[in-house]
Amino acid sequence: MTIAITIGILVAGAVYLFLQREMLRIILGFILLGHAGNLILIAAGGTSRREEPFGTPGDTGIVADPLPQAFVLTAIVIAFSITIFMLVLAVTGKDDDDTTEPEGDDDDPEFDVSTLPKGIIEAEDITTQSLNLSREKSLSRSRTHQSDNEAQSDLGAENEGGDR
Amino acid sequence: MILTSVVISLVTCVLAPLLTRAAGRNAGWFLAIPLFAAAAVLVTATGGDFTRPVEQRVAWMPTLDVSFALRLDGLSLVFALLVLVMGGLILAYSARYLGRDGKHGTFYLLMTAFAASMLVLVMTDDLVVLFVAWEATTLCSFFLIGRSGPGAREPAIRTLLVTAAGGLLLLAAVATMAIGTGTTQISDVLTDSIWRDDPAFTATVAVLLAGAAFTKSAQFPFQAWLPDSMVAITPVSAYLHAAAMVKAGIYLLLRFSPPLAGETLWTVLLVTSGLVTALLGAAGALRRFDLKELLAYSTISQLGLLVVMIGVGTEASLKAAVIHTIAHALFKSALFMLIGVIDHQAGTRDMRELKHLRTRMPVTFTALVLGAASMAGLPPLLGFVSKEGMFAAFLEVHGPVWFPVLLVAGTATTSALTLAYSARIVLGAFAGKEEPASAGTREAHEAPAAFWAVPALGAASGLVLGVLPFLLDSLVAPAATATAGTPVDVHLALWHGLNPELAVSAVVIAVGTGLVLARRPVEVFMLPRGIPVSGLAIVDRTRQGIIRLGAVVGNWTGSTSPSRHLGIPAVCLAIIAVAGISTVGELPSVVGNPSRPEDWLLLILVAAGVASAVYSHTRYTAIVVTGIIGFAMTLWYFILGAADVALTQLLVEILTVCVLVLVLRRLPNKFPRESRKKRLGAGLVAVAAGTATTIGVWALTGRREMSEAAEYFMTQGEEATGGANLVNTILVDFRALDTLGEVTVLGVAGIAIAALLRSRAPSAIRSAKLDTGTPIYDSLENSVFLRVTTRVLGPLIIVLSLYLLLRGHQEPGGGFISALVGGAGFALLYLAAPSDAAARIRWPYLGLIGAGFLVAAGTGFMGYLEGSFLTPLHTEVLGVKLTSPLLFDVGVYLGVLGVMLAAFNLLGRHDEHSDPTHPSHDAEDEEHDAFLALDDMGDDRMDRTIEDEVTSR
Amino acid sequence: MTAALLPFFIGIPFLSAGLLSILGDRPRLHVSLLLANLVASTAGGLALVAHFTHADPMAHGVALWPFGIAIPFAADMFAALMLSVTGILSVTCAIFALYSGHATSRYFAPLLLVLVAGVNGALLTADLFNLFVFVEVMLLPSYGLFVLASRAKAPYRQIAGARLYVTINLLTSTIFLGGVGFVYGTAGTVNIAQLAGLAREDSAVAISVGVVLFALSIKASVVPVHGWLARAYPSTSPAITALFSGLHTKVAIYAIYRIYAVIFDGDARFLWIGVLLFSLTMIIGVLGAVGENTTRSILAFHMVSQIGYILLGVALFTEFGLTAGIFYLLHHMIVKASLFLSTGAIEIKYGTGTLGRVPEILKREPVIAVAFFVAALSLAGLPPFSGFVAKLSLIMASIEADQIAAAVVMIVVSLFTILSMLKIWSGIFWGGRTAEDQPEAEPGFPAGTNLGTLTRKQVRQLAEPTPRIGVGLAAPGVILAALTLGLGLGAELLLTLSQTAAQGLLDPSSYVNAVMNS
Repeated sequence: MTIAITIGILVAGAVYLFLQREMLRIILGFILLGHAGNLILIAAGGTSRREEPFGTPGDTGIVADPLPQAFVLTAIVIAFSITIFMLVLAVTGKDDDDTTEPEGDDDDPEFDVSTLPKGIIEAEDITTQSLNLSREKSLSRSRTHQSDNEAQSDLGAENEGGDR
Repeated sequence: MILTSVVISLVTCVLAPLLTRAAGRNAGWFLAIPLFAAAAVLVTATGGDFTRPVEQRVAWMPTLDVSFALRLDGLSLVFALLVLVMGGLILAYSARYLGRDGKHGTFYLLMTAFAASMLVLVMTDDLVVLFVAWEATTLCSFFLIGRSGPGAREPAIRTLLVTAAGGLLLLAAVATMAIGTGTTQISDVLTDSIWRDDPAFTATVAVLLAGAAFTKSAQFPFQAWLPDSMVAITPVSAYLHAAAMVKAGIYLLLRFSPPLAGETLWTVLLVTSGLVTALLGAAGALRRFDLKELLAYSTISQLGLLVVMIGVGTEASLKAAVIHTIAHALFKSALFMLIGVIDHQAGTRDMRELKHLRTRMPVTFTALVLGAASMAGLPPLLGFVSKEGMFAAFLEVHGPVWFPVLLVAGTATTSALTLAYSARIVLGAFAGKEEPASAGTREAHEAPAAFWAVPALGAASGLVLGVLPFLLDSLVAPAATATAGTPVDVHLALWHGLNPELAVSAVVIAVGTGLVLARRPVEVFMLPRGIPVSGLAIVDRTRQGIIRLGAVVGNWTGSTSPSRHLGIPAVCLAIIAVAGISTVGELPSVVGNPSRPEDWLLLILVAAGVASAVYSHTRYTAIVVTGIIGFAMTLWYFILGAADVALTQLLVEILTVCVLVLVLRRLPNKFPRESRKKRLGAGLVAVAAGTATTIGVWALTGRREMSEAAEYFMTQGEEATGGANLVNTILVDFRALDTLGEVTVLGVAGIAIAALLRSRAPSAIRSAKLDTGTPIYDSLENSVFLRVTTRVLGPLIIVLSLYLLLRGHQEPGGGFISALVGGAGFALLYLAAPSDAAARIRWPYLGLIGAGFLVAAGTGFMGYLEGSFLTPLHTEVLGVKLTSPLLFDVGVYLGVLGVMLAAFNLLGRHDEHSDPTHPSHDAEDEEHDAFLALDDMGDDRMDRTIEDEVTSR
Repeated sequence: MTAALLPFFIGIPFLSAGLLSILGDRPRLHVSLLLANLVASTAGGLALVAHFTHADPMAHGVALWPFGIAIPFAADMFAALMLSVTGILSVTCAIFALYSGHATSRYFAPLLLVLVAGVNGALLTADLFNLFVFVEVMLLPSYGLFVLASRAKAPYRQIAGARLYVTINLLTSTIFLGGVGFVYGTAGTVNIAQLAGLAREDSAVAISVGVVLFALSIKASVVPVHGWLARAYPSTSPAITALFSGLHTKVAIYAIYRIYAVIFDGDARFLWIGVLLFSLTMIIGVLGAVGENTTRSILAFHMVSQIGYILLGVALFTEFGLTAGIFYLLHHMIVKASLFLSTGAIEIKYGTGTLGRVPEILKREPVIAVAFFVAALSLAGLPPFSGFVAKLSLIMASIEADQIAAAVVMIVVSLFTILSMLKIWSGIFWGGRTAEDQPEAEPGFPAGTNLGTLTRKQVRQLAEPTPRIGVGLAAPGVILAALTLGLGLGAELLLTLSQTAAQGLLDPSSYVNAVMNS
């Protein structure tokens, strides 16, 4: 029963935090939610048996279930990786991490075409050759790898001239 | 055989653009020929005897048992000839109507496509193909209207919306009939017994079909789109909006008359709507000055009459409907084309302007008179014959006594009004005839022969068939039989002797001529009497209303700020818990005692941590408190018997706090105060979600014995893998796929962070506002203590992490824990560095992540030596037991280390990394720039020129 | 095609991703290895489809551990169809992305490869926890792709969208994890084959799997949790939106179909919830679409509405209903990607997706206009495109299962779909101007643009020689539009395949036995 209450408290704290405006509080909320998720997995394995699962224990009645522990290990690491990504997201916004900022005032509200990196295959100057390339690619499923390289080489030739 | 006619029409459709490129506007002549040929093919296919239907079938979708089936019976033949002959004539006409220059490729393509789809519509014997052809005509009309200039776009959209709505009603009818009768073949559907057994089915299908036909044939209340679509050029109006497309609705009603004719609902629907439309159309026509619009309203009125005839449903009225369809097609398309000729020659089609024009167009005049007379129903024209048939049918209708009276009265007034506006057309078009030939007035000369030939032919045929109507007997009889369901014999004649319908006609003609003579006062009287609300306004207002409603519904989803989007799932969780409580019956009893006294201690610690995290106002305290909760969780895992998990949780906690601190210095210090109302709302949702989860955990866990999988691990786990640490063996042996996925997730997080920081520079570091005098300002001296200890601790940590890596299989340890320890070592190195520049760790973190992927996936593929992906391999090398899971763990080690380096390098250092122009790039970025030379060179050059110009903003 | 080779679908992309993230500075190697991988994955999918036309489902316990312990990879006709269509989509979207400039970023190829591996894994796995892991493997690269832009140029809008995208997906994953925990807590296993039919007998397992289905429906953006998709998808770059539209929600829908068919064994007690929720999704989705005024937010809202259609297939749970649902799912993936790609090409070359802000595209880009209109008609369910066949069979199926209300909703929603497609057509392709407010063209600017409403940046963009959409950028949209026309006329082939897949769902015993003795 205690683990159920702990999970409930963690979830309550998490939900309160991630309903706030600041990205940092949202991240802290999700850290708590991650803890709650992991405790649910451990509780699913049954908290009455609490021995370390090592070797081939004689009396299996007191040894904890190793499977949910493996699940929790995987879940912790996944949650950790998403958390550090979110932390980076928190600092790449405007000058602070407020998530309710009106979206477009300092940038162009429309999707700015110059944000798209210039294509190496500048479409205008490649005429039919690129059309064959793309049609070839998507229509004939069983293209051999070899023909990829040969299409690749004229691409390469073209690039060579371009930037060197 | 009949399939060839459809194929011919499709071929013309393909030929159209090529011919137009070759012959320009004259392509019309060449395209007319195949249509006439198709008509000839149809006639020969029936071998002269029109009563025996000819069938042909091609499979299309056997799973839905839908096939491209064609069936030519009397009714289909009449309409098919109508579509093909009229189509041919109008194409020939447009060869002269269209301007000499200008691109007509799309026009001819769309017109021939329309002809083909109409042909399929009237000849198909499959409900689904009927719907397909129906929608194809809608699309052709949308494009044909839309291509005549920007002004025609709104009408095209309105027309498409109304006709598409009708199309969807037809779709519903098709689906209901297909499911109800179990087949999509029209001939079987019509003879199915369900029409009589299931009144609900019949009623729904009747309403749906009527709705679809009313939108297509512009009946009340959907009549607004027809005048609106007159913006299209005359051939389009003549063909689509007079002869063919609007007849599709009539064809649908005729085709489904056999089962529905007896239905009172069907009769009431059709008769009321027909009568209202007829009267409205006729009244509307009297108020129009533009000849083409006048014809549009007259078309609505004539179609109304047709709908009334079909609604009555007796043999005589259906026969009259077929004849009137033919008559209407002839005179209405002829009139439209003649108006086109006048418009072309005189430059206008508005009566008020035509008044001041001397029109020397004798042939057009006579053709116009013939057409108008036929429309008015004057003998000896075909119009009179069909009107006589109508009155005869209505007079002998049985049923309540007032029914025939209402019918005859309504149609008689309409006919009188028709006479009035027919005269209005003739007088309006040629009022200027008497004008003296003064210098000022412009002359409108007769059109060249090729131009007026086609409409004159149409008008003349009205006269010829009027005088000799029996020519049509062999055509009308099978059509009437197909619609009435019982054999009908037809003897058309101009003169049936003295009978009541002749009297009615006489009265109608008398009243009509009276209206014509008094046309000035009638015009003055009719002008203000327009219908109060215009159909177009309704369509537009509903469209704007839907768009406004859409905007409101769109706003429910709020903006991209996550709080609203995250709150809804939390509320839903509470709802699921409530649903769970109500549905789950009794639960199995709890096994053993899940909680122990020392748990309460940890519970209180976690509760205190959460409470302070919620109430913290500065980011610094929030981070510290989350660290405490993390350590409480580690204790929880220890007492629950999960050593590996506790160790991982501890290390993850340390590194998260490190990254949090790196991030902290770029964020403001305090959290702004939130309004009380918002905090209360969030609190309520939080408590609801919390209690829901507690109930869930209490109810759904701890109530069963040990699972078989756990039993297997504990009994055979060790000797199957040779590892004592069961949790680690699960991770790298039994469920290695999960761990492979996990490593990829972690590695990709590193790549994603690098991608993010390359796409957008992080916000600037906030200075700590330390005055330079204080001893803690100079980071070099302050870090001396840490630097000394790192020299000792560094190698120790590396040895510890390698030791943890190697013993993972037997003791708590393994890939993750060892790598996190290694990561903590690098964190120490970073903290001990005197300045940000020196803190850079020169290892290529993306390379490390990639290596981690390669090793992990490579071990997986090595597993195929033993039969399957990721199977563990055991080999003895110099007495040391080497297993593939160990190699797998090395892959994990590399991946995790790569991510840690990425996080510290990218986040931890001063801003010069993110500023592209800053000189002190490091190796990692040179490699970047070489790669992106292509990309930046283009971007920067363009940006620099534009930036200078724009910076003045 | 023995079952042991199934892990190749995830192994090869992982290997290539690892290789490419090491060798960062070879754009040509990135392009060729990426396309080779994607084409190979599609070919594999198609081979599986061919195999399953005459064979039973096959399964393989990874690493040959006994049943119940090993993570089973299972494939049947439904999984094979999904693999092939996701493959086709990833190839076309990758080509579009290459031409729209994503290829220069060294992160694009590895991220896309891991994304495709995650999708293939999620489609093939028959273990709930492993499904959670592969969903994460699918999500992380999409976070990276979401924020991909040229050096230091990502607009704030993209970051705000990414924040919403990451947080909602993390919440969904944690709820999913909790659900898996409850399933393990009540049933003692997470293997789908062992759970077969369990939710029908034991209501505790039913509630636990219900939580899992709830998490999946957030990911599939069913009402009321649909808002995030409509707000997040339009804020990233067009190529990535097209890619996500074809992959993410579709994997969630596949999982909902599979879980409800196997674990609930088509339990009729809960179908009414499905019919109610999915009809609401259709209505609210299309209403939202009608109210928006940029192409991508209209199309994003449409996705929500169309997902309502697709999931109705499972809510009917008759053979005809499932066949129609699966056909609709495959059709929608193709059409929606085609729409996003064609409008995306315009947005990239003309700088904006807002209706009325673009010079008349119909005259300038007839090819794109035709591709868009074909796809739009198919989406609205007008013949002779695949959308018509899908909508007709779904309406007939719902009438057959006498869900008349759902059929009526479907018809009304198609009318609104046509309305919103016309809004885009007149706003973008007819240039959004009616005759009267057509200002005479400013010297040097394309006709039909009055400069008052444009921002300074657009004025500059439009001042350049009017950009033309290149062949490479237009080809993907056109190819997919041609595919939807082909699927419309030749619908029979896909209908029979969907029928076999539906029979596999209706009676999952062959699927379960394959996993049991794998």
